This record gives sequence, structure tokens and C-alpha cells, in this order.
Amino acid sequence: MSQEDILVVMQKDLERALTRPDKDRRWAMLIDLRKCVGCHACTVGCVSENKLPPKMYYRPVHEYEQGTYPSVSRTFLPRPCMQCDNPPCVEACPVKGPGGATWKETDGPAAGIVPIDYAQCIGCGQCVEACPYNARTMDEGTFHSAGTPALQRYEIMPSYEYGKKWSRSGKGQPVGNARKCHFCVHRLVAGQLPVCISTCIGRAGYFGDENDTQSLIAQVKKANAVQVLKPQEGTAPRVYYVANEKLEVLYDE
Amino acid sequence: MTNKKPTRVSRRDFLKVSAAAGCSAIVLSQFDFARDLIARVEAGELTAAEAYELLKAENTLYSVCLNCNTGCGIKVKIIDGVAVKIDGNPYNPFCLHPHLEMKMTPEEAAKHDGGLCPKGQAGHQGAYDPYRITRVLKRAGKRGENKWQAIPFDQAVDEIVNGGRLFSHVPGEENRQVTGMKELYALKDKKVFEEMEKDTAALRKKKPEERQAAIAEFKSKHAAYLDALIDPDHPDFGPKNNQFVYFWGRKKGGRSNFAAAFTGAYGTANTHGHTTVCQGSLYFACKAMSEQYVGNTFKDGQKFYWQADQENSEYILFVGANLFDGNYGPTNRAMRMTQRIADGKLKMTVVDPRFTKLASKAQRWVPINPGTDAAFAMGMTRWILENKKYDAKFLSCCNMASAKAAGELSWSNATWLVKVDKDGKPGKFLRAQDIGLKAAEKRLDDKGKEYDFEYLVALKDGKPVAFDPDDEKEAVTGELFVTTTVTDSEGKAITVKSSLQLMLEASQEMTVAECAELCGTDAATIEAVAAEFTSHGKKACVDIHRGAAQHTNGFYNISTLMNLNLLIGNFDWKGGMIAASTYNIDGSSKSTDKQPFKFKDIGPKSLKVFGTSIIRHGMKYEESTLFQGKGSYPAKRNWWPLSSDVYEEILPSIADAYPYQAKIAFSYMGAPTYALPAGHTQIAALMDVETLPLYIASDILIGPTSMYADYIIPDLHYLERWEFQGSHPNMPVKVQPVRQPVIASPNEVVKVFGEEQPICYETFWLALAEKLGLKGFGKDGFGPGQDFTRPDDYYIRMVANIALDGKEPVSDASAAEIELFKLARRHLPKNVFDLDRWQKISGPAWPKVVTVLNRGGRFGSQSSTYKGEQVANKYGKLINLYQEKTAGCKDAFTGKSFYGISRYVPIADTMGHSTEKLAAGYPLHLITQRDVRHTKSRTITMPYLTDLMAENGIILHTSDARALGVKTGDLVKVVSATNTEGVWDLRNGRKKPMIGKVQVTETIKPGVITFTLGHGHWSAGAEDVTIDGKVVKGDRKRNQGVHANAAMWVDPNLKNTCMIDKVGGSVSFYDSMVQLIKV
Repeated sequence: MSQEDILVVMQKDLERALTRPDKDRRWAMLIDLRKCVGCHACTVGCVSENKLPPKMYYRPVHEYEQGTYPSVSRTFLPRPCMQCDNPPCVEACPVKGPGGATWKETDGPAAGIVPIDYAQCIGCGQCVEACPYNARTMDEGTFHSAGTPALQRYEIMPSYEYGKKWSRSGKGQPVGNARKCHFCVHRLVAGQLPVCISTCIGRAGYFGDENDTQSLIAQVKKANAVQVLKPQEGTAPRVYYVANEKLEVLYDE
Repeated sequence: MTNKKPTRVSRRDFLKVSAAAGCSAIVLSQFDFARDLIARVEAGELTAAEAYELLKAENTLYSVCLNCNTGCGIKVKIIDGVAVKIDGNPYNPFCLHPHLEMKMTPEEAAKHDGGLCPKGQAGHQGAYDPYRITRVLKRAGKRGENKWQAIPFDQAVDEIVNGGRLFSHVPGEENRQVTGMKELYALKDKKVFEEMEKDTAALRKKKPEERQAAIAEFKSKHAAYLDALIDPDHPDFGPKNNQFVYFWGRKKGGRSNFAAAFTGAYGTANTHGHTTVCQGSLYFACKAMSEQYVGNTFKDGQKFYWQADQENSEYILFVGANLFDGNYGPTNRAMRMTQRIADGKLKMTVVDPRFTKLASKAQRWVPINPGTDAAFAMGMTRWILENKKYDAKFLSCCNMASAKAAGELSWSNATWLVKVDKDGKPGKFLRAQDIGLKAAEKRLDDKGKEYDFEYLVALKDGKPVAFDPDDEKEAVTGELFVTTTVTDSEGKAITVKSSLQLMLEASQEMTVAECAELCGTDAATIEAVAAEFTSHGKKACVDIHRGAAQHTNGFYNISTLMNLNLLIGNFDWKGGMIAASTYNIDGSSKSTDKQPFKFKDIGPKSLKVFGTSIIRHGMKYEESTLFQGKGSYPAKRNWWPLSSDVYEEILPSIADAYPYQAKIAFSYMGAPTYALPAGHTQIAALMDVETLPLYIASDILIGPTSMYADYIIPDLHYLERWEFQGSHPNMPVKVQPVRQPVIASPNEVVKVFGEEQPICYETFWLALAEKLGLKGFGKDGFGPGQDFTRPDDYYIRMVANIALDGKEPVSDASAAEIELFKLARRHLPKNVFDLDRWQKISGPAWPKVVTVLNRGGRFGSQSSTYKGEQVANKYGKLINLYQEKTAGCKDAFTGKSFYGISRYVPIADTMGHSTEKLAAGYPLHLITQRDVRHTKSRTITMPYLTDLMAENGIILHTSDARALGVKTGDLVKVVSATNTEGVWDLRNGRKKPMIGKVQVTETIKPGVITFTLGHGHWSAGAEDVTIDGKVVKGDRKRNQGVHANAAMWVDPNLKNTCMIDKVGGSVSFYDSMVQLIKV
């Protein structure tokens, strides 16, 4: 047994990373599918954290069954936004230039993340189509407690994405726009791990500054053969996987 | 420390500027800058870190989840009084491994979120369910008609206590007189209770032919009180007080004690839990294994079980245990296993007809036929014994001293000699005085009471040796395999065999190949598993759950499997089988005398409740006044000398008025109609107002069972209330998680004992006590100036006891921490949280109470959890391989003795008949399973979960689908011999067909079908209800999917109950054969 829960180790890694110059840091995520138990805690944690409407998931968990009885296997694959270094979604976005709707952040604490500015997004949906991972979804403005006697306060209260309070009504808000995983950048800048990492019951998720060789994510990445999803797309994902299976065979979303 | 920024920043700029602030937020006390938060938000001066309000300690309260019974720690984040996000409590070892030490301040802990399963994270959606009830509902139509009126709380209490023509507004019930609780509070005198209890106990010891005279004697002695008895001709039924039946579903410490305070003072013996719907036979088989030899008999068995110390095991054989979906539970067990699985340090075999998530991580999956678990275990047993792969050193220990000498903490009765009758049937253990080896002695117990002690006997070097199993000094070991003859004092020969010999002989009744054939596997597999299991010393386990328990043969499935652990002597060893350990709540801790509130001495006093319970538990049929000799077999219903909390018995026994009529039933957080196999039989029992004249339910909404109630008393959601969750056997750390109010309740506020409080379970008990004038409740209930008028009067005292348990109490909270305590509860109304009041109740323990509540409980340190290679929180006692007490009990239907040595027993109905006839024409074996996203009856109200898993389906193998001509997505109806129509008869003309969508898979044994529990609801907001004449429309998302429990077999003999395990009490969940009809 390790001396500390890896959540505590990664918390320390994160605090150390935040003290390093922005340009030296490279946020990355690694998911060890051997440890993923398919519980969907990350999915629901993310929905709750980011106040996602029905049927919108920043981080779904896909399940694959293979083989024939009794030689079968099951694999669980969480799929966050890959925060690609070559993001097709950014390419597809018509709102370009300074003050654009989505871009690959290059400096500041969010460097490396692909954010969406809800105030600039025009809701055209082209980025949704462009993403090879289906990581973007349009917010249709629906509510979980719709169709019941009353809408509930917890879901009409604001979310904290990108370090700002976002309500579910009014101009420049998430509703009507594209939305996606942002590595919980509002938590990162506040000194907390992304919620999908902290809530993972199998401790399958790793997060941190992969440029920091002392960080757990860097060590796990080094110690294992890692894969990325759809390498042929040339998107250069920041999300790595460790798995017993060849993921290009499984993952064809 | 803060970065002043313009109010309007572009998103890009915003993301760039907040890093420094991010760092500062970690070290700066959030508490300090929280005060002017709002002002600074308005001025636009806030940084990203500060704006993230969910990170702040004063917006965080720690409590305990209850979306399943694992009860993980939760960290509830509250904004403007609303619970907006739930994470895992990092102080709690169910969420972080190792968990944070208690000494870490809540400010420091704020940045740590622990792991938590999806159900736990959706918890607040249950609290904010729009279908919750907030006022007392009284039935306005027939039972189950979904017509209600909201009535004042005081009116409900008055009607329930005083009775009368309460339902004259309902057609057909105009003149029905309902008995109230006051009338059933018939016997009140403490002394009479004590006398009658003693006298009825004596009555039970009489032979049937002596009973009439004894009853006459009883009647003459208690002539003045015969009116208070249910039936003076059957004094053993007890007083009329027993006609008040209280039963519950999910209830934990604290709330249990609270209810017991009432029912004890009221004097009813009818208080029953729900254990047998979960894994009763696991509990009661382990109770039988943990019975201790006291004097000359076995008693004090614990209703509990052992599980694997999974973080240290090298090999675990999981049988019917699906811990990544359920089973106490995904959050705490997965984080202790996954890295070691990935590293190859933990190897697993999963025995289960389904290729579960757990199986997907195992080296070996053995899909066996449901209900053949014991055959698998007996095959292993035979191989282990014949190949001498057992731990001979452990097994040879006869007593505590020998265990100690061998470095063991527990010991077994493997070597003890058992007397065998002329037919070869084992009975009691040989006593030393039987053969003139050593005379019995008079001894004194710790209360100074004299009792007889009889020595037991083992064979050592060919000679009988007498021993005391609890002897700490004189070590006695014995020979393992013994068959011999000894001579009694009259010179008569007695055949004796050692327990282990009996086990060997039982295992040799079938070859390994025959066992394998029953299981649907092969001998090589069983032998390979046995070889692997015995190749890791004490770091191997057989970890079992309800898959093995919930069969008609559950008790023996569990015993045979658990016995495998005895063969390798892994109990109390690191990586072996461990038991739960908790901090004490009621002031009866054995490790300290510093606990401030000894509930035994303060508050309401229990009467000496007596009488046969409505479920006839803890008693032998042969000792009841209903038994008149062999002609009395079969009994009308089962008797349960070895089990309790037999959930499936409660309502059908009331319907049968066996052994007597119940007048009032009160249920708490239970849904037997939905949760039990053949749950429709439970609905039928609830419908009859003659056999059950008054039924009251405590619930947070109109649920699948409470919809059949006469009154529903609104309760608090688990985020609004108190409870002490306790622990589970896979948790090596000593804990006591505390559930506490973290948000306000929406319920109507009422006055009880002059105190304002939201209506809930406790207020109802208190109001009943007030109305009935029960002693120990109300003003000065806990002594002069110490009132018992509110829930917190009870629970704050228990928190103080937790804080002061053990050799060392918890530390005092600092002044700053007490300030935080107050600030974090700023949103709670005074009728829930009152700092001055809580401080006064706590007395000097107050700063320690704050320490515990600020951390969501008390948790031992990981570093003190093990002592060398053994666990610190040990079981440390005798574990029975041969069960003398079990062998001394008889089947109430057939009159045959139960087996003392466990073995494979075929599936059968209560008369012992095979199920072949029921199965004819129904080729598919129906089982059930959990999905981690749902529990049976609670999570359907939570959209995060229903959104993710909107419906379940009927899961079957490709070959079965092909044979039926169905494919994934097709609709099928589930039918069986006892539900040929394939419907839930909800009564009042409503029927819900058991139709579900097919899900075809390769991950299940052909011939077996399953569905996940938690869908197919007909209430809990799924259907329209009428309240005060207005229709409340249901949410159609809630009745999606299928619930096929009503297809499970009804026992052909009982006719109004599912099939049962007559020994261990479990219901049969996995024995029914069904057919699927394409719709």
C-alpha cells in the first residue's frame, strides 16, 4: 500500500505545478483502464459540478464487451475532452480572432486547455460536428426537474465554469451554446483537481503537469505504454490511456 | 493577497490572470476572506479562486450518504442553504485510502475531495425531489387508491393513539372501528412484565404434555392481568402490546436506538428489520458460526459477517459478490483493489453466473448454476482435505490458549468431539462428564450469577482431553480427524467424531466431478480454484455476498463457503477475513468508562418485553403452546430459532393472523412490496383492512409500499437528519461515521413537547410517547434539567459518546474551529440547529463533539489498523465449524433436524419438495443484479442517475435470445408458474405488466437471465396521485424499465409468500424459473 492516496499525491503535484511558470507547465490527463470499474462516478461528478442539463456529458464512460461466452471481456473507457494540441473544433469555429468563441489557450494557468467563451459562441454547432471524439454538445436549455411539479433550485443556481458564475438564463450564458470538458479549469486555478479525477473510485484517473518529472502522471506515463484515441486524426490529444487492449480497435465513436 | 481586476474581463484575460490567486487560495484561510465575499463579488474584485465558493470550508458540511447502505462519507457543498454538490469525505476511510487524519483542520481539508460513487453524488436530488411529502397524508380512498388528504400532525397522532371510526369517509369502511395505540398499551406494569416474561420462558421449557397444566397455573397466578394478554390460553404470545408491529427497511444506529427507546417503553416484542431481503442467510450463518460456548450451551452469536481485507489479500475467491456495483461497496473497496489488480498483486476468481464488472478484472470467471454454491464449496473442501492443504496448526487449536500459542487470534472447533447417534447423525459435542473425564463445575458470571460449566473433549495422542474453549492459560490441541468410541459412566459406548472428520465425510458424499456437474463446471476448475486458494497462506479469502445467500439453501451455501476460510485459518489476519469495528454510541463501550451518556441508565427504560413475535423468531416451534407433538407438523408458517428480522414473514404473517392478529403496523423506510421477491403477495397482505386494521408508514414520498398505508408520516431526507452509519466487514479501520443535518427540511414544523421541529420519524415517536404518557420522554427525560423533547437531545449525546470512546478521546476543537462549525451551519433553522442548545446538551464534551461533527464522524488512523501481520480490530473468538446449536433445531414443517455440518442442499419449497413441477415449461433461470448507478427503491427520484440509465432491461445470453427469436431492444414479458399473467397486481383494478427490453449479451451463463434492480416503479412520483382533490401528475421518467420480482416463485405451501430459506431466513431471489414471451 502506498503511503498516501494518489489523490493526495496528485493534489501536492498540482500545488507544485501552480507555483511553476505557466510556460513550463503542461496539463495532461491519463486514464488507466485496467483500474476503471465502469462506475460512472466521473460522469455524474462532472454533471453535478458543471450543472450540465439532461443528456449532456462532458465525460461519458463507454463500455465494450468482446468475445464469446465464456471467453469474454469488458472494458470501460471514460472519454473527456482530449484538449487536443491540434483541435479540429477550434479550426471549425467561425468566431475567430481575438475575443473568439473557442481557442487553444497558450498561456496563463489554463494554457493547453481548449475553452469556450459562452459570450462569444454563436451556437452554430460546427465545432460539435468537427470533434472526432464527440466531446462537444449543444446546451438545449433543458432541466432535469422539467416535467415535475417544480424546477429545483440546485439546478438553476449558477455553475462555476472558467472561474465565473454562469446562470441558466440571460445573454452570454451556456444555454444555446456548445459546451465541453475543460479539465475543470475553475478548480485547477483554485488549487483543486478536476472533479472526474477526485471522484474516481477506482483511482483510474491521473492529472497534473506532465513536464514535472516528479509528478505522478509523468511517472505513470513513463512506466507504461500509453495510447491516445484516434491517433490517425492527428489531433495530438492531452489525454493518455493505459490499457490491456488496443483502443483503436475498441474506440470508434 | 487578492488580485484586483476590472469587473468586465474577457474570457481569455480571465484565464490568464488567476494563477497566483489559485495558489494563494490554498494557503490563505478561506474563512478570513469569506466574510466580505459578497461585497467583493459586487465590486468585481473577486479572483477565480475566491469565486469558487465550493472550495470553502464554511460552505462545506460532512455527513454520510444513504443512497445505498455502504454509507460512504460525503462532503456536501452548500450555497445559499442549498446543497449543490456532493463529494466524498476525505476524513472518512470509505472515500480516501488512507484517509486524512482527524488532526487535520477542516480548512486544510477543504481542498481534498474524496472519491464517491455516482449515487452518492446524486444524493441531493433525492432531498430536492419535487414529489416529497411535507405534511401528514391520510388515506382519502381505499388502500392503494392513491387518494390522499393532508391533515394536521396533531390530528394524525390523536387518531392513531385513540383509534375510532377513522375511515368513515371511505365507502365500505363507514362503521369500521379501528383500535388505537392506547388500547394496545394494555400491560404497563414493569414488575408484571418481568414476572410474565420469566413464567412464559419457563412454559416453553415444558414438554407438550405438561403444558395445559402449566398454562392453567400461569392463568391463576396472573389472573388480574389476563385481559392484557393477546390470548390467555396462549400466554406465550405475550401482551396486547405485541399487536403493535413496527418494522423497517434501511435503519442504522441512533435511529434504531430511538425507536427501541419507544418500543421498549411501550412493551412490544414486534420490532423487525429487513435483513433477509438483503443477505439474511449470510448474517445468520455467520451468527451460527460465531455462537460462543457459554457454560454448557451456545449463545451470544453475532448477527454479522466477515469479508476480505482486500487491500492486503493476494487471492480472493468472490462468490455472488459484485463489489464494483454493490456489496459494501464500490467506493471503499474499488480504491483498495484496483492498483493491486493492475500490478498483479491481487488475483481473483469470480464465481457468478454473470460476467460482472468484478469478473472483468479477475483472472478466472466461473459461471456456475444459481444455487449450487455449496456444491462448489464442497468440491473444494474435499480436495483441500484430501490433499492436506489446510492449516493443520490453526485447526488443531481447541481453545484460546492454544490459539495464542500458535500465534492465532481466533480458533475453531475442528478438533472437538461430536457425539454421533446410531444412525450416524451428529448431535451435541461430547462433554467431559459424559465419559467421567472431568466433572462439570459451578462458576460465577461477571454479574456474580452462578452457572454450570461443562468441559468439552478432544482427542490428543489417542486419549480424550478435557478443555475449556475460552481458557487463556492451558493450551489444548487435538487430533484433526477422529472417529472413535468412548465409554460413558454407565459403560455404554458412544461413537464420537471430530468436527473436521464430519466435514470430511460430508464432503465425500459427492465426488469433485459430481459437485462440478451440479455447478455446471468441471472438476479441474474446482480443483484449480482450491489449489490457488490454498497457495497464499493466510492472505487468501472466500468473500461471499447475496448471490450465494439468497436461495432456499442460502444458509448452507454460506456455511460451506465460509468454512473454507476456516480451513486456511485466515481470520483476523492481514489479507484474510476481517470484521467491522466501530466507536460506541450508547455509552456501553468496554474500552473506557469516560463516555458521558450511558443510555442504559438514562432516558426511557425498556419493559421486559416478552412473547412470541408475529414472525416467530428466536424461538423453536416445539417450545410454543401451539405445538402438541409430532402431529403438529407441519406448522402453518415457519419458526426461526436461528434468525431474526425475517422481512418476508411480517406482512403475510399478519395476513394469516399467525400466531395471532396484529392490530397496528408501522413501517419505516421500507418497501417490501417492491424489494421482496413475489412482492405482489405483500401488496395483497396490505390490502385487507380486517387482518391489518391500521397501517402507518414513515416515508419521504408516496412510495411503493407507503402508498398502501392509512397514514404517511413525512420523514426527513438523509441530508436533513441524524444517524450513525456504523461500518462494514471489509473496513479494517475503526470508524463511526455520523449522519447529521446539512440542509433544512421542507417539512411542516410542528410542536411536540412544546418544542418546534419539522415533522419526521423522531417527532412521530416523541408525539406518540407524549400522547401515551410514556415515561422517560419529555421534560427531564434524561434527568433533572435534561429534557428529551427533540431528536438532537438524543443524538448530540451519542456524538459525545463517540468522541470519548476508546483509550484516547478525540481532540478538542479550537475556538476557530467552533466558529467555523457555527458559520458552516448558518443556513440551518433554529428548530434544527441551535448552537447554545447543542453546547448545553454536550456539557464538557462540547469541543470534542465539534471535532467529530466537523469531520462527519470519528475515524481511527490507518497506521493503527494493523498490528504486525494481524488486524488491530480483531474478532478474536471461537468460530464454529460444526454448529451444535443449529443441529439442535428442527424444521417446523417437516420436524427434521437441521444439519450441524454444512453441505449442499437442493433448492426446495417449504415442505422440502423439489421445484421441478414449478419449473416445467419455464426454461430460463431468473436472477437479479445491481448496477452501480441505482439502488432498489431510492434512486429513481434522481435525474442524474435516471438520465444516465433511463431504463433497465432483461439481460440474456445470445443463444437464449436466438431460441426465443428476440434481439436487443425487443419487448418481452416475464411469466412464471406462479405469475402466469406476468403482471404486478397493484390492486384497485391496476396491473403493471412485467415487460422489459431485451439486452442480448455474451456475458451471462446461457439459460440464466437477469435484470438490474431499481426500475419499473409504480409510485415514488412515477404515477399520478390525488392530494386534497388535486391531481399531482407523475413523472413518466420514473416508471421506465422493468421490475420482475413478481415473477419469482410464490411458495406453493405458504401460498402468500415467496420461497424462503427455512434456516437462515433469506428470501429466494435466484431460484425461480421463468419464460419470456415476446410482446
